[in-house]
Amino acid sequence: MTGPGLYLHIPFCRSKCSYCAFNSVAAQRDTVDAYLDLLARQIEEYAALEWCGGRRFSTLFIGGGTPSLASPAKLAAIITLCRSRFSLADQAEISMEANPDTIGPELLTTLREAGLNRLSIGIQSFNNAILAGINRVHTAEQAIKAFHLARGCGLANINIDLIYGLPHQTMADWQEDLQQILALAPEHLALYELTIEPESPFGRLQAEKALVLPDEDLLADMEEATNTLLSPHYQRYEIANFCRPGRQCRHNINYWLNGSYLGLGAGAVSCLDGLRFTHESDPYRFMSAVEHKTTTIRQAECLSRTARFRESMIMGLRLIDGFNLRKLEKRLDISATEVYGPLLAELNSQGRLLRQGEMIRLAPDWLPVANQVLNTLV
Amino acid sequence: MAIHFAGQRTRRAQDLFSLTSIDLFYIDLEVVTSGPCPDTRPDSALPPRKTRPANHMKHIRNFSIIAHIDHGKSTLADRLIQRCNMVTAREFKDQLLDNMDIERERGITIKSQTICMPYRAKDGKMYTLNLVDTPGHVDFSYEVSRALKSCEGALLLIDAAQGVEAQTLANLYLAMENNLEIIPVINKIDLPSADPEMVALQIEEDLGLDMDTVQMCSAKTGQGVDEILEAIVKLLPPPQEGDAAAPLQALIFDASYDPFRGTIISVRIINGTIKPGDTIIFMSNNTSYKVEEVGLFRLRKEPQKSLQAGEVGYILAGVKTVSDTRPGDTITHKDKPCPRALPGFQEVQQVVFSSIYPISTDDYENLATAMEKLKLNDAALTFQKDASSALGFGFRCGFLGLLHLEVIQERLEREFDIPIILTVPSVCYHFFLTDGTMLEVDNPAHFPDPATIASTEEPYIKATIHMPDRYMGAVMTLCMERRGENTRYHYPMPGRIELTCELPLAEVIYDFYDRLKSVTQGYGSFDYELLDYRPSDLVKLDILVNGEKVDALSQLVHRANSRARGLHACEKLKEEIPRQMFKIAIQGAIGGTIVSRTTIAALRKDVTAKCYGGDISRKRKLLEKQKAGKKRMKIVGNVEIPQKAFLAVLKSEQS
Repeated sequence: MTGPGLYLHIPFCRSKCSYCAFNSVAAQRDTVDAYLDLLARQIEEYAALEWCGGRRFSTLFIGGGTPSLASPAKLAAIITLCRSRFSLADQAEISMEANPDTIGPELLTTLREAGLNRLSIGIQSFNNAILAGINRVHTAEQAIKAFHLARGCGLANINIDLIYGLPHQTMADWQEDLQQILALAPEHLALYELTIEPESPFGRLQAEKALVLPDEDLLADMEEATNTLLSPHYQRYEIANFCRPGRQCRHNINYWLNGSYLGLGAGAVSCLDGLRFTHESDPYRFMSAVEHKTTTIRQAECLSRTARFRESMIMGLRLIDGFNLRKLEKRLDISATEVYGPLLAELNSQGRLLRQGEMIRLAPDWLPVANQVLNTLV
Repeated sequence: MAIHFAGQRTRRAQDLFSLTSIDLFYIDLEVVTSGPCPDTRPDSALPPRKTRPANHMKHIRNFSIIAHIDHGKSTLADRLIQRCNMVTAREFKDQLLDNMDIERERGITIKSQTICMPYRAKDGKMYTLNLVDTPGHVDFSYEVSRALKSCEGALLLIDAAQGVEAQTLANLYLAMENNLEIIPVINKIDLPSADPEMVALQIEEDLGLDMDTVQMCSAKTGQGVDEILEAIVKLLPPPQEGDAAAPLQALIFDASYDPFRGTIISVRIINGTIKPGDTIIFMSNNTSYKVEEVGLFRLRKEPQKSLQAGEVGYILAGVKTVSDTRPGDTITHKDKPCPRALPGFQEVQQVVFSSIYPISTDDYENLATAMEKLKLNDAALTFQKDASSALGFGFRCGFLGLLHLEVIQERLEREFDIPIILTVPSVCYHFFLTDGTMLEVDNPAHFPDPATIASTEEPYIKATIHMPDRYMGAVMTLCMERRGENTRYHYPMPGRIELTCELPLAEVIYDFYDRLKSVTQGYGSFDYELLDYRPSDLVKLDILVNGEKVDALSQLVHRANSRARGLHACEKLKEEIPRQMFKIAIQGAIGGTIVSRTTIAALRKDVTAKCYGGDISRKRKLLEKQKAGKKRMKIVGNVEIPQKAFLAVLKSEQS
């Protein structure tokens, strides 16, 4: 098992994409830089707390929004600060998210020097018409160029994010995207089915029935085509995540195993041994709170062992190989039977869950309809 | 499903699904204590007054407001109450008499209410004005009629822009049958589109009422309201001289239920006097009770030493259920009974029948309790135990009409939080069998063996439809589609048409309201009365889900409509039943013949695309919502059918 993770949230983007309901607002570089200065204060503050700073973190992940919108030097300073204030493992995975239009040689070199060893590029599609339709500010050509640039700068662990099921997308479009992936050969892939978030621009369009989306059958076919095309080259290790051998994203594995993590920045969520808390999500109110040295925590809850167990189940079963149920029982000091009664045995006998020794996982044919099982375990 | 349709204000059933919990009982408002004179201090904390002036009957007016829906009845009632200084502006809320949220939100009155208003007239004398509020929907015409029985007069309210509508006439006839003095009131004269002169002409020519008594007002602005109060005092007669010393005769015209005090019986005392401690009997069923309290309706119930001939008030007598108090029944003293009951009592007639099942069979007991509780306050609801092989135990219920059915469904879900399934509404059919007997069937489950049926009959109604003449063609077509007969029409005034048509009731309860509203763009108004039974040709349409008959979806339909109905039901079910792990066949069948079929493909994709640390709460909630949704599904065979699929089958294409 990987250790606890450290997450930093950068809630700014150059512009908002149509599908996105993440905590992010459109902003310019100087705003992001000002935010990073205040985030640095929060890092210092939390590092000084024994129950946070006293942990040894295995991973650092800078996500957004678009972290790469900030000045390279400011970002590098944040990484350096985390490494000096927090205890990071020697081989810590240090990732950052970036958009193709913000990736340049200066950014890559500076961050590499600061210790960045994994880059996640939000490409979403290699089709310019589709990119325009989802309000992305970059082209396919820019994305390919950004990828090669990152490679050229020595980044040996690169992830690409793609979305399928986008408006007007055909099977042929998606297969072309996958072929492009195979040509670039990144170490890691996150392939997401489009989710219509009610509070996103697409959510509003869908409410007006103004969105033409691939139907369920096409989506299922796309998922199958993905598995077929990628399986010779990549290992699918989570519902939406694929990697070259040994290149799993350790930071995310920790989430799926429901480990502890500390999240800093606007809207970031932390969960440390069952204590979950969330920071102020509005970037400007967050900045003001840090500046005035008032608390930024807006929600906190202490999860019961049963609740933690249930969450661990619905997270852990997203992993293709599943997880060690016995270890979970030990860690939370509660048995699966106490939580679920005979349910797990029933799901097992129905062929929905598979047990192998101490391991438990979702049956492969239930992966496309995983919610039908997970909603009985929640 | 639309509830009513007059002018451009329409309300849709989906609005109902946002309703909050319903406050059933009397408005809990503080009544102002600084009325215009000492006589108007309705402070229930004070001991009941010992006597009232000897000639006080002369100063009582019992009246109703009758109107087509949306013509402003509740607004006028609010204004009259305000003018009588019964509430302060702070306490005022719209539609004071409409207590149920469902009434306020739909803007309709379902349960009538009575209020007693002290009013000092221009002649300097104090009058007691008893306003008996009445329901405003065609389904509730019996409730209107019994409320009218307690009055001497009525305000006939007509919208100055819309003029006479279908229910204006229907209500006027009811009032005339009860020999009420009528004051026509033209409302909404402040509207830019108001044409009061034209409406006044209509009142004289079409309704045959006296133009001289017409009142003009705007209940919204308050203009003309003082004149109406004066007209009530001047034009309406005081209660007929009852004999306070004669044996008690009290007419029950309404009843509502209070969980702490039992049934609150609304009565009009015709003869005699009633006071706490008396032993009374209900003449229709001879049950006896001891009177605990009598009083008048102010905004709150105000106890009195006694109620006497001519008065309208309430009685509390520890009556456990409203169904024991039948509207139209007579109350008398046990030891000194009156010789005979008041005329006009009739059992309420249910015309629409449907079964109600709890989604979860565990809820059956709760549903039984809830039905009993609803029955406490709704004398028109009937129900008896029913069982379905697909849905388990439930209740077969009789309703006054579709609105009544929807109201009950709403209240079960909101007040009692019981998810339910309704079966396809049916009317009561007559089956004449080859052995010479006649079978009354209101439940498809009791459809006789077709081989034994000699002939069948179904109930017909006479529909009266008012509309602007430009919709004539569309409405005629609709009536023809619905097997309408003897369609007639005339022009009550230029540009307006009144169309009458004889229609099978079954066609009306299916989706006639919705379609009429749709083809007249909301400008058509509709009223109906039951006519008679006429020959029909009925078949039973069954719905099979993966080969398994879902008896709750069976319906009795005219043979000519059966294929179309079967297809409609299959298509609606296909829309509403979510994909499941296997393919689902939906078939419509008559006897052994399949008349329609649709297929629902197997579920192939249902997975949350991304889920990381920060998302977990949100994603968990999505799964929890799915889990809760499953609780609202009924499992038939191995297929999960959501509640809304059952409802969808009842609705038309357009709704």
